[in-house]
Amino acid sequence: MTHSLAVPPRLRLEVVARRSGLHPDLLRQLVALSVLEADRDVSGQLWFAPDVLVTIGRVQRLRAGLGLNYAGIAVVLDLLNRIHELETEVRRRSGPWT
Amino acid sequence: MAADFYAALGVSRDASTEEIQQAYRKLARRYHPDVNADPAAEDRFKEINEAYQVLADPETRARYDRFGPDFRQIPEEMAGQWAGAGRAGAGSGTVHFGDDAGFDFDDLFGGLFGAGAGRMPGADQEAELVLGVEDAYRGGKRRVTVSGRGGRDYDVTIPPGVTDGQRIRLPGQGGQGRGGPAGDLYLRVRIAPHPRYRLDGRDIHVVLPLAPWEAALGAGVPITTPGGEVKVRVPPGTSSGRRLRLRGEGLPNPRGTPGDLYAEARISVPAKTSRRERELFEELAAASNFDPRRTS
Repeated sequence: MTHSLAVPPRLRLEVVARRSGLHPDLLRQLVALSVLEADRDVSGQLWFAPDVLVTIGRVQRLRAGLGLNYAGIAVVLDLLNRIHELETEVRRRSGPWT
Repeated sequence: MAADFYAALGVSRDASTEEIQQAYRKLARRYHPDVNADPAAEDRFKEINEAYQVLADPETRARYDRFGPDFRQIPEEMAGQWAGAGRAGAGSGTVHFGDDAGFDFDDLFGGLFGAGAGRMPGADQEAELVLGVEDAYRGGKRRVTVSGRGGRDYDVTIPPGVTDGQRIRLPGQGGQGRGGPAGDLYLRVRIAPHPRYRLDGRDIHVVLPLAPWEAALGAGVPITTPGGEVKVRVPPGTSSGRRLRLRGEGLPNPRGTPGDLYAEARISVPAKTSRRERELFEELAAASNFDPRRTS
């Protein structure tokens, strides 16, 4: 069994743009609006976590399906994440056999 | 496709445009695939959108009212004649989401935010899969019906020793994408309560009823586990509450050590005693100086 070094994989802006089909400028804008999270290195290059693609899908669906603006989407994403954490916690605590 | 667009939105046939809009917004929020991971929610969301698409536009609504679900088959000019409306330029005016002829959910996503929308992947969905303790122990193939899209059947391979809360991933079986990949469907395992077994992770707890003499003298007692019958060696002097561990007799673990089975001794006495039994108990009571309430 091989173990990779513990460097979290990160994606460059161009890679995220290619995989999501979104324009890099739109992605930059989404980062500026704090809809997407990204790290900025010393040269100003944006780096994304791989699960950003899942978030982008959510953003697209929320925008298309509910007509939300990006500020609203950011709130919804935060709330959905919090609900997910809380539901996981509730399930963990109230397992059926306690 | 919804049989009745009014029913899909839960409004009456004489509902005002505002009422239709209100019902649509409320339902769309509730059944949006990112808000509601239930596989059936996606169908409902499409149905709501399709209904709104038709009913929000007075012109298409009038055609739907007149011709029913087949209204799209009626050419617009003809429909215009029927309606007796001398409108200039069919399709102009209050068309909300673009051309409604040959409406398609994918067009809704594309039409609304077409520019820059990219390839939109489908949402992940989640459904509950209830298993009995024995099913979880054995694992194996199982046919699972998931609501949504007319009830889909999947042959799912359940890993032996699956635990409560574990998710089984069916790649690409979630929500549909537009230009992007479909989402995944996750089956969240829920282990149904069992009259005898209590689960704690992969450990199984079970009550082991013992006769007083078995508990006092020790005995080899058969006990039924999800994997079949095993023999428990009850050591002499076992009191109620003592837990006997049967290593590795819990749920199997495909990636490590299996759980253990804990048999908790519970001493039972006969509800009715024969004369002989009573005599023996009386003899024992007279001969013994054991007092369980006095801790030495």
